[in-house]
Amino acid sequence: MEDLYKIQNEQWQSGVAKSITFIVTKDCQLACKYCYLVGKNSKERMPWEVAKQAVDYILDHEAEFKEESVIWDFIGGEPFLEIELIDRICDYIKLELYRRNHHWFNSYRFSFSTNGINYHEEKVQHYIEKNHNHLSIGITIDGTRQKHDLNRVYKNSERGSYDDVVKNIPLWQSQFPGSGTKVTISSADLPYIKESVLHLFELGIPEVNINCVFEDVWKEGDDKILEQQLLELADEIIDNNLYENNVCSFFQEHLGKPLDKKLQNQNWCGAGKMLAVDAAGLFYPCTRFAQYSLRNKKAWVIGNVRDGIDKNKLRGFLTLDRCTQSAQECIDCEVAEGCAWCQGENYDAADTCTAFQRSTAICKMHKARVRANNYYWNKLFRKLELEGIERNRAKEHVKQSQMREIC
Amino acid sequence: MLKYLIILVDDESTSFCHYASRSDMSNLMAIDTLKKGIRFGMMENLMIQFVFPEKSLPIDYYEAIDTIDHGVLAPAGCPVNADVVVFNDWNSFESFVFSDVGTFVLRTELDKLLEKRNTLFSSLCRMTRINVVLTDIDRFKEEDFVRYDEFLSEFRENIKKLYLQGHQTQCNLLTDRIELDAMNNCNAGVDCITLAPDGNLYLCPGFYYDSEEPIGNLDEGIKIKNQQLLRIDHAPLCRICDAYQCKRCIWLNRKLTMEVNTPSHEQCVVAHLERNQSRRLLAELQDRGLLDKKKEIKEISYLDPFDVKEEW
Repeated sequence: MEDLYKIQNEQWQSGVAKSITFIVTKDCQLACKYCYLVGKNSKERMPWEVAKQAVDYILDHEAEFKEESVIWDFIGGEPFLEIELIDRICDYIKLELYRRNHHWFNSYRFSFSTNGINYHEEKVQHYIEKNHNHLSIGITIDGTRQKHDLNRVYKNSERGSYDDVVKNIPLWQSQFPGSGTKVTISSADLPYIKESVLHLFELGIPEVNINCVFEDVWKEGDDKILEQQLLELADEIIDNNLYENNVCSFFQEHLGKPLDKKLQNQNWCGAGKMLAVDAAGLFYPCTRFAQYSLRNKKAWVIGNVRDGIDKNKLRGFLTLDRCTQSAQECIDCEVAEGCAWCQGENYDAADTCTAFQRSTAICKMHKARVRANNYYWNKLFRKLELEGIERNRAKEHVKQSQMREIC
Repeated sequence: MLKYLIILVDDESTSFCHYASRSDMSNLMAIDTLKKGIRFGMMENLMIQFVFPEKSLPIDYYEAIDTIDHGVLAPAGCPVNADVVVFNDWNSFESFVFSDVGTFVLRTELDKLLEKRNTLFSSLCRMTRINVVLTDIDRFKEEDFVRYDEFLSEFRENIKKLYLQGHQTQCNLLTDRIELDAMNNCNAGVDCITLAPDGNLYLCPGFYYDSEEPIGNLDEGIKIKNQQLLRIDHAPLCRICDAYQCKRCIWLNRKLTMEVNTPSHEQCVVAHLERNQSRRLLAELQDRGLLDKKKEIKEISYLDPFDVKEEW
């Protein structure tokens, strides 16, 4: 059963699925302190007419969306605040895929990343029941109550949301066994990493996808704190055999190697291959290019639901490669593999209006992670060797994350 | 390495490229700025190209300009001897008295070019060189590419006839590619920068007229952010391309794709239609023994390198 749901997680049809994101609302119950959405508000809710126009445009242009499958992604703010609208959109999509005999019929998923607060509510549960076989839902919980409530607080009250989320975890895991959560780390969260990951394992969440924010928030000494936390976490995971059934995405075997300039020159993220649409009916190469996500730059609009997509405005994204956007220091880096970037943050932080300037704010945190990761795998493989498991078979005994870095 | 400084002496200085001068601006560069600009060019060892408006300038401007070796670009009708004469409309082209030693720029929309093409063809024998600049590439539709290719084919026949008569008129659309072995683009921000009437430095005049951020001024010098993106090695589509005659206009790139290093579909297709007609012209002139047989422009199957990016 778990394997079934693993297939249905966010990696479903990885590489062959088109990701289409509806920004259904810019409102959220929470005001998370690390949230990159600087322009959240309760006014910009997607009207049904806009959603319908977006679906019609996409399905009318089937030849331009050749991917085998599609992931219809709903985000906010908090998407479940608009569950009635989403339900109507999904019904319309299903009906139209069938009516048009579209190649995505029966090759689609609906995907959500939610704060989990109203997961248990009747309307949400009714929607889940109706669409269960085509659903991927991730609930974000940051770890222990202390760590979670440090950042994930209700807007206007500063009250933490841990208790309201954690009560829904058992229901979520019963409906989607094996589903992972994503955890975002900012400077203030660093001392709580170890206990938070272990706490999430204890809650029955076997896959913890975790990453440092890409924004330039890191202080002097933060890398040392991260390194220490990950070393202690590595000891806990290995000494208690937690690696057999759990995975923390901070530890990945192929992390921290040099990258070949030609053979490993691909872009990291899928900006431009994805499509996002907001309440005004504007299209973006990814939600991170919508105005509410940007601190310093203007929104990168690539079209709208009436006039369609301006393909010229996607050409840069679709020709982006690692070396062209990287500084020489990054190209020559001995531990480059696994060092992630967010195209939207690159654009927002760039010196000019370009997506071709890679932000390096995460550099020292990546290097700290690599050192701890090396320790993890050296310790784990040695342990398995001593237990009589050959090195080349050791991987079979270790649950590994299939996730790449999360935006 | 910077080689050229373009000085727009007035907001009404003629355009000589894809961008349009702004008719709602009419500031004459301050004489002190002009003199400082000339001094800046001398100190940076830059060749200065002055771009004139149609109207006359005050006498002290001409005196200042004559203090340095320079080139002049001016619109037809301007009362100065220009190294490059620019035609912004067909009336000025048709009424111009050509000598056979001039270099000219013809700025035109495609429709007009097709309508007036015979006027152009009949004038070719009285020019050393002509650059034809299409001012509406950004509005091209698929059918416009077909019409442009038909024009280029006809143009090629006329150039070929001239060559057979011993008159080798150069044209950016057809003969440049034959001569080139590597990219030879506009190179704004790499080879050349522009001093505008406001006293600031810009990547090119188009960036000034679009109110983009300047790249410096005469007091503090030049600081081009992300300058590497202006170089060919940082342009993923262009660095594998062999349409060497393409202007690779970073102003059009910025306008249409939002990235200075990424050309639009329209710019790529136009450049490849020219490349392919140049290839045919090369072969025809080689057959007539007029050009070296060793020169080669390879046959390719695409008009936009973006369409074959998976094969890179």
